[in-house]
Amino acid sequence: MMRAAAAIAGLFALFAVPFWVIPAYDAEAAGFWQHIFVTIFVFAAMACAWNILGGFAGQLSLGQTIFYGIGGYAAALMNQHFGLIPWIGMFAGAAVSVVVAVLIAWPCLRLRGPFFTLSTIAFLEVIRLLAIHFKDWTGGSAGLPVPMFVGTELRIGWSWMLFREKENYLVIAFGLLVLALIASWLVRRSRLGFSLVAVREREDAARAVGINTTAVKLSAFAISAGLTSLVGSFHGIYLNFIDPETMFSLPTAIQVAMFALIGGLGTVSGPIWGTLLVVPIAEAARGWLGAGANGLHGLVYGVVLVAVVLTMPHGLVGSIGPWLRRRFGAARAVDPTRIAAPVTGDAIARPPIGPVILEAQGLTRRFGGLIATNDVSLTLREGEVLGVIGPNGAGKTTLFNLLSGFLPPSAGTLRVMMPDGSWVTPSAPHAFAAAGVARTFQIVQPFAGLSVLENVMLGAFHQTRSATEARRIAEEVATRCGLGALLLAEARSLTVGGAKRLEVARALAMGPRILLLDEVMAGLNPADVTAAVELVKAVRDSGVAVIAIEHVMAAIMAISDRIIVINSGRMIAEGTPDEIARNPAVIEAYLGEDYVHVAA
Amino acid sequence: MTLISGASDSDLRAIQPSGHRTLIRRRPLLAGLAATAVAAPGVLRAQGNELRFGALYPFSGPIALLGDESFRGLEIATDERNAAGGVLGRQVRLMKGDAVDQNQAIGEVRRLMSVERVAAVFGTYASPLAFAATQVTELQGIPYFEMGAISDPITERGFRYTFRTCPRSSDFAVAIIGAVTDALAPALNLDPKTLRIAILHEDALYGQTVSGFQESQIRQRGLQQVEKLAYSARSVDLSSVIQRLRSANADVVLHTGYQNDIVLFFRGMQEANWKPRMVIGAGAGYSLTDTARAVGPAFEGVMNVDFTQFEVNEAYAPGVKQFVELYQRKYGSDPRSGHSLANYFGGRVYFDAVQRAGSTDKDRIRTAVLATDIAEGTTPTGWGVRFDERGQNTRVRPFLLQWQGGKQMTVFPQQAAVGTLRTQLGA
Amino acid sequence: MDILIQLIANGVLLGGVFALISIGLTLIFGIVRVVNFAHGELLMVGLYATWLLSAKLGIHPYLAAVPLAIAFFFLGALMQRAIIQPLMNADPHIQIFATVGIGTALANGALMIFSADLRSVDVPWARQATDLFGLASVSRGNLVAFAVSGIATTGLILFLRRTHLGRAIRAVAQNRYAAPLMGIDVNRIYAITFGIGAGCVGLAAAVLAPLYPAFPTVGSFFVLTAFVVVVLGGMGSLEGAVIGALIIGLVESLAGYYVAPDLKEVVYFLIFLGILIVRPAGLFGVRGAE
Repeated sequence: MMRAAAAIAGLFALFAVPFWVIPAYDAEAAGFWQHIFVTIFVFAAMACAWNILGGFAGQLSLGQTIFYGIGGYAAALMNQHFGLIPWIGMFAGAAVSVVVAVLIAWPCLRLRGPFFTLSTIAFLEVIRLLAIHFKDWTGGSAGLPVPMFVGTELRIGWSWMLFREKENYLVIAFGLLVLALIASWLVRRSRLGFSLVAVREREDAARAVGINTTAVKLSAFAISAGLTSLVGSFHGIYLNFIDPETMFSLPTAIQVAMFALIGGLGTVSGPIWGTLLVVPIAEAARGWLGAGANGLHGLVYGVVLVAVVLTMPHGLVGSIGPWLRRRFGAARAVDPTRIAAPVTGDAIARPPIGPVILEAQGLTRRFGGLIATNDVSLTLREGEVLGVIGPNGAGKTTLFNLLSGFLPPSAGTLRVMMPDGSWVTPSAPHAFAAAGVARTFQIVQPFAGLSVLENVMLGAFHQTRSATEARRIAEEVATRCGLGALLLAEARSLTVGGAKRLEVARALAMGPRILLLDEVMAGLNPADVTAAVELVKAVRDSGVAVIAIEHVMAAIMAISDRIIVINSGRMIAEGTPDEIARNPAVIEAYLGEDYVHVAA
Repeated sequence: MTLISGASDSDLRAIQPSGHRTLIRRRPLLAGLAATAVAAPGVLRAQGNELRFGALYPFSGPIALLGDESFRGLEIATDERNAAGGVLGRQVRLMKGDAVDQNQAIGEVRRLMSVERVAAVFGTYASPLAFAATQVTELQGIPYFEMGAISDPITERGFRYTFRTCPRSSDFAVAIIGAVTDALAPALNLDPKTLRIAILHEDALYGQTVSGFQESQIRQRGLQQVEKLAYSARSVDLSSVIQRLRSANADVVLHTGYQNDIVLFFRGMQEANWKPRMVIGAGAGYSLTDTARAVGPAFEGVMNVDFTQFEVNEAYAPGVKQFVELYQRKYGSDPRSGHSLANYFGGRVYFDAVQRAGSTDKDRIRTAVLATDIAEGTTPTGWGVRFDERGQNTRVRPFLLQWQGGKQMTVFPQQAAVGTLRTQLGA
Repeated sequence: MDILIQLIANGVLLGGVFALISIGLTLIFGIVRVVNFAHGELLMVGLYATWLLSAKLGIHPYLAAVPLAIAFFFLGALMQRAIIQPLMNADPHIQIFATVGIGTALANGALMIFSADLRSVDVPWARQATDLFGLASVSRGNLVAFAVSGIATTGLILFLRRTHLGRAIRAVAQNRYAAPLMGIDVNRIYAITFGIGAGCVGLAAAVLAPLYPAFPTVGSFFVLTAFVVVVLGGMGSLEGAVIGALIIGLVESLAGYYVAPDLKEVVYFLIFLGILIVRPAGLFGVRGAE
């Protein structure tokens, strides 16, 4: 609450200074100051919009001025050709921008890192050159002046977005900033926001918790584009003259991204801080140094940029925020009394084993000439624990990837029963998640930059859209998994055991009916193994069917109802733990042929 | 000839001993603003006996060179005016505004109007900046004196207090096509309709607007256009352009370009072993000695249409030599282009109009500006002055120049010419 | 037909120019994994350096090539050590903005020192046309640039394949985490690679100086094309960069003639996007390297 109040007070001050304070103090200079603040608001709004894509989702687009330009042109062209007020063009432009964003994002989002960045630049260049070339539509490089007189009619006032009273510009620009800020705050707190961060941090793990990574990135792209476009419409009218060079400008795109970066990437308020710092510095540098020599202020600007990046790689908010927290103590802690006591294994009686809920027939997966999984058929029943064992390289993890949709099978079928009794055959990880299948990874894949709680919440978002509800589920599940004391710790700070538990907690928080555990006990000390065994039993007792890959034989024997053995991609045995322990084929696979003879 | 004698209140000269230098205060942007916030308003700006005008140009950024060159012309006009007693009995003081892009143009012109309280604004050299700035001044009711931006619509928007002394893109196109029909074709002893004309231009504002008017002029006059090619000003290779021109068998290439692409164009022609009979440039890069030096001997004979340059018949442009001397004395070098001269001319016209208006009231200034009547051939640019209702000077046209012996000689119109047109392109 | 041969000749030679500029970028991009947005500005600095050596000291640009390449090696290594190295483990966003900052500072520094004027190195020999077997007419300077780019690429490929240092560089490119286990000092390799990349730019600048004038923003004219070439060819692949450069050169030349000169960039950006979408790793890139 304190933070919200402080944020609102800060925003109010940001508006009050140019709107009331400066005019009251020095009415003459107000016109100029208000322009500076309009500039700050416009760039801060664009930086906020950019941050949804570049910061939250980690997709470094340097082509966002595509949408700034579309917004500007939509307002100006509809004004020019149909005499429509810019407000209509503004929203039409935003709609066009969203469509264009989806069309552009579709191919671009397949690319990662610098390749994505370069593809957005390429799109920006193409659109700029086309806007220049098709001058009959866009006015080309000659540009479009925004008409103020039509005949003798003076088109100014709120409907035309042109004012004699300059403080009105301030109102609109500030409104756009607040809009972008609210949008970015809502996104950050919503399931979408968590999903975006998950995608940024670790795309595979994000898919495992049921996130449709393409869809969420696309949404971020579209939201960012729509907001940018609204700002572009206003700024185009404000500039009174638009041309492709100004509207589809790569330097502007870079600058907007830089404001967000300097302020703090992926934070809600960072883009505003960055803009508030850099715009006045740039203005001042031009004022003070511009006279000295042509280019001096640009030189200083570049050097300052390098210096900021070197000294504060996490931006203002990312660097100063933690410092403030250390200095003045942690502001938040989770109230332990709110969290229910851990549910222990023996609290609930084990439910009976039910009907088959997962069925695989002849699953085969080839990698070129190598057959990693060869004609494996298996079934899993409700409430059952199925152990999967086999020597290293036997193809267990490949089998898991097939069972969770991370790899499509080369041959064979796989189906999952839904709660209503119908059968489905999911094709992608998020579809498996939707069907109630959750998984962990052998090599732990935490969202390293997020807290333990947020990691688990990402799983919980699979069950609910509400952040409050997700938080409640996450706190409960994490506590059940023995992470109660570490809720606010960064995931990267966990021990191996902690990270393994986090994997399980994240998967459990999804509320799965089928849980795939990939070596969750490997590398744990004996005490942790015991705890993990208890945990799996508790999970089983809550009615979740489990398939577990494990090397720790004692553990697998203890938890499994049935075990299948894989060797060289084939299933070589299946049976109860006792049967498997006596099976010669299994002993041979594990210990070699000689041992079988000796034993016989 | 009202222009020179415009300094009518010479009685003030006696009390302005220091009036020989223009008073310039570099804007200390935030510093100045911070100061106005701290000190009581008004302390810093003891206006005394000075009359402030804004000077809005791109002083930094990629087009700073010619922005600064333009400003120098205005500065010299101001010096001259101050030496003659100033305007309305007060010394003129120019307040600089640095506009790199539209957004900054708005900010700076607002600062000039509100913080510096200027009576009018001079500018701008670049058209986009002029568009953005004039809208602000128009709404505020402050006169805007344009002296260098050429985009036609600047004075076609129904604005009452925006005036322009310099020629427009369409005037450039008319002069260029006129150069083909009235100068080049007769010199070649050919019917202009037989000449195969190609238009070549960079695709930024300047090139696109001028070439558009060239095309319509060619159509109007029934000439033969064989090719119209645009290219990005950031091109690093124009060889395919040259092949297109060669395939079209162009006789005359009308080229609008900046320095780098002009250099690439001429080097490309050299590589391809091909050249048209004549290349006619449209100012910008074609007027710079630097371009001529970079291209080398192949630039000899190239024709160019631009603002009045310095090799011009003094009888038609009285005062041009005097301007060059003033310039050399003040800046220690030769003028870098004719932009300073055009701004010098414009500054004198407007100062004179404000003087005649008798006050800085916007409507009286408008009346005085529109009442200006100066014949062609009586000013340092050779241009006359007669504004239409829209604020555009109608007695103004760019001249035809030709690079001869490393200098740009005026060759057309006849009265302004100092050289005769040669038909040989290249050394 | 004549025209087509001429256009192809122009395209191939232009490809040579692009290759010369891109090989340094692909090395840095592929091995250090840094998108160097200051690459164009390094070229700009090189063009100015060549101009200074030629106009002030009377050194022929081609003679300046080797010393300039060596000087740029140290400049590049220094830049890596001082600015890129501290950011090696940071978010890639941060590295991009660091290089943007360097580029901005260099371009404006040049504006401050040299003003916006064109500085042209005058080598009339390089600008003269040569008849190519009676089929096409090309400039000697372009032929030299083409030859140098071929020699430089071959030399670099041999260096990477045959020498111990070259193998170490390739090992780092393949797995920067495993390389230290083999006793390779990864940070030193990065500095050296950055140096070699910058050295290539120095070489390119000297060879291109007779063809292209120097001015503060000249870098931005080339940098996007160089990125297109590098991504097209496949990150870190020298052969790929050369092929990519030839493709872009040919596209520029042919599209400039047959489509429209102001749309030739559109054509090659679209080809670039198309190839990226079909083969995200580029023509010669290893899948998964992206």
